Amino acid sequence: MLTVQFLLLGAVLFCIGVYGVLARKNAVMVLMSIELILNSVNLNLLAFSSRLGSIDGNTFALYVIAVAAAEVGVGLAMVLLIYRNRRTIALDELSDMKG
Amino acid sequence: MSDFLRSYLTVFWFGLAALLLASLLLGIAVLVRPSRPNREKLLTYESGVDPVGDGWSQSQIRYYVFALLFVIFDVEAVFIFPWATQLERYGTFGLVEMGVFVGVLLLGLVYAWRKGVLRWV
Amino acid sequence: MLASILAQVPWQAPSIDYHAIAPEIVLAAGIVLIILVDLFVGESKKWVTASLTGFVLLGALIPVLTLAVSDPDARSLFDGRYVIDEYALTLKALFLIAGYVVVLLSQNHVEEGDYYQGEYYTLLLTSLTGMVMMASSRDLVSIFVALEFLSIPAYMLAAWRKRDRKSNEAGVKYYLLGVFASAVMLYGMSLLYGVTGSTLLSEIGRQITVDGDFGGVHALAIVFVVVGFAFKVSAVPFHTWAPDTYEGAPTPVTAFLSVASKAAGFVALVTILYVGVPQAKDVWQPFLWVLAALTMTVGNLLALRQSNIVRMLAYSSISQGGFILMPLAVAGTGDAAGPALQAVVVYLLVYAAMNLGMFAVVIAAARTTRSGEISSFGGLFSYAPGLGVLMTIFLASLAGIPPLGGWIAKFAAFRAVLEAGNGWAYGIAVIGAVNSVIAFGYYGNVMREVWMKPAPNGETRAVATPTSLVAALTITGAATLLLGVLPGTVLRFGDLADLVGAFGR
Repeated sequence: MLTVQFLLLGAVLFCIGVYGVLARKNAVMVLMSIELILNSVNLNLLAFSSRLGSIDGNTFALYVIAVAAAEVGVGLAMVLLIYRNRRTIALDELSDMKG
Repeated sequence: MSDFLRSYLTVFWFGLAALLLASLLLGIAVLVRPSRPNREKLLTYESGVDPVGDGWSQSQIRYYVFALLFVIFDVEAVFIFPWATQLERYGTFGLVEMGVFVGVLLLGLVYAWRKGVLRWV
Repeated sequence: MLASILAQVPWQAPSIDYHAIAPEIVLAAGIVLIILVDLFVGESKKWVTASLTGFVLLGALIPVLTLAVSDPDARSLFDGRYVIDEYALTLKALFLIAGYVVVLLSQNHVEEGDYYQGEYYTLLLTSLTGMVMMASSRDLVSIFVALEFLSIPAYMLAAWRKRDRKSNEAGVKYYLLGVFASAVMLYGMSLLYGVTGSTLLSEIGRQITVDGDFGGVHALAIVFVVVGFAFKVSAVPFHTWAPDTYEGAPTPVTAFLSVASKAAGFVALVTILYVGVPQAKDVWQPFLWVLAALTMTVGNLLALRQSNIVRMLAYSSISQGGFILMPLAVAGTGDAAGPALQAVVVYLLVYAAMNLGMFAVVIAAARTTRSGEISSFGGLFSYAPGLGVLMTIFLASLAGIPPLGGWIAKFAAFRAVLEAGNGWAYGIAVIGAVNSVIAFGYYGNVMREVWMKPAPNGETRAVATPTSLVAALTITGAATLLLGVLPGTVLRFGDLADLVGAFGR
């Protein structure tokens, strides 16, 4: 099996995701980057699961998928909320409170 | 080449066959048919209605709630599939568990219904 | 594909000890009940949901008590993935009581604003269910699910005031950093699963040993998991969301986040460190040491310059978090494991009482002052002596003045650190001691306003405190005083042998 390749792909996805979260200013882009990290986690879990021949990783991945959907639902609702109140979703303009 | 990759060879041949067949049929059609373009013919086909604006227009925000509900319920189905493949083995215990799970999902649907989210206003 | 994988896995219906999971069942049934009641009662009767929530929380407390007296042995479900031992029961009781106090705090706040009452209490209860589950979780999957279970409703609660820009901002900041942290933590968990081949914490504990092939991946996995929880407990430098979220969220929600949510983060951290990776202490001890030192110091220094009381309490709660991390930073050294666990649990109990009390006083006093500025609390004692005295008690307890609860908590923390007795331990103890002194600065500042300054608008007539707030103040005030006067009882709660065993190997 290609466990190492899968893990490398997972690591690359993870790094792209972290870069996206830190560098992007658009809230939707940040959400997408977080999804990327979660997908890298799923890839890792499945690669390990098939290498170890245990079902635990598969189960874990199912939970990650379900929870990620719930998270994104809440996240998009919140982005909509700030868009309604501010007409922008740029994160660096979220600065009513400081200090 | 590992077994894993070799099993993808089938996919590769299948895709190649589909590509060849499709280009063959379309190629024959291009050779045979007459070509007389005019403005009406080049318009994007939109169920026979004249298209308005371009493809990147904003969509109604109302779709958002439906999309959100769809995503949640669609993804929760991920737990039903493994259970469905092993229905007999999990027996009564599995059935009761899944009943509780679907019951909670239904509660979400009832909530959406009572809040009037499902009505198209 | 799926069917063939599943067919290979041996399976039999698990035998479920319904007494053991009765608190969770009561809470889940309560959530369903409250959603249905909220959907089908008229607008004028919405207050029913608040009372129902209170009853559900007290109802869930009953099985916790019966479990505590029934038998001393730990009950274990699903092959040890869900364990109900003394540690779990103590913290479940803490979460349920803290939740009850938050309901008391919320009642008037929610009724007077144009909030969605039913949803507010449903989300509060859901979040609490996640915390109660967290106390028992002994498996990476259940810890992850419990963490999201408690976090996702909390994000929504922080953004509760839909049309308020500050509340939106609070929610979005909390959400983005929280989700990012849990994603990083998940990556760490996936690596941990990969190197040990199990998601069961006790099995991970058996696999990760110092003499084996402990490598960079192990260390990376552990650090990522700890970083995830460091966000949750708002440890510096992962604290940036906390002040803004605390200031922008509705005040009862802030009280909830700063006490219950933070406690849940510590519970998960302790479970993973004590059951999962005790042998990898050389990885996490220095990391936690730095986190604890930074958290105490930065939290304190920033608290000194705040003029808004909620923001000051936010930074104060960050620095209190540093004191809770302090014993964990030396938990693997010498015989410190037992006392460190005791110190963390005792600190969480006392901190919950005094911080909830502090927020209760602020909510009650703000009904008169209509402002969150510290200067607006001037002369509080002259026109509302009861609130003035209570505020002094809570502030003194937060500062660690004997004979109040906060003093016992700090005492237990320092004792655990000194038990470790090496250079690292003395180092963090000195940093902790210096910070205890700095903390007098900002707590004393508020006391001076309350006692010595005149009321800002001249003569002020105090607005009456509603009954639910009085009840909350009584519970938290009594707890803060009693925990301080009777240290034996609270230290007994922290005496938990079950978890410490893994360090001995």
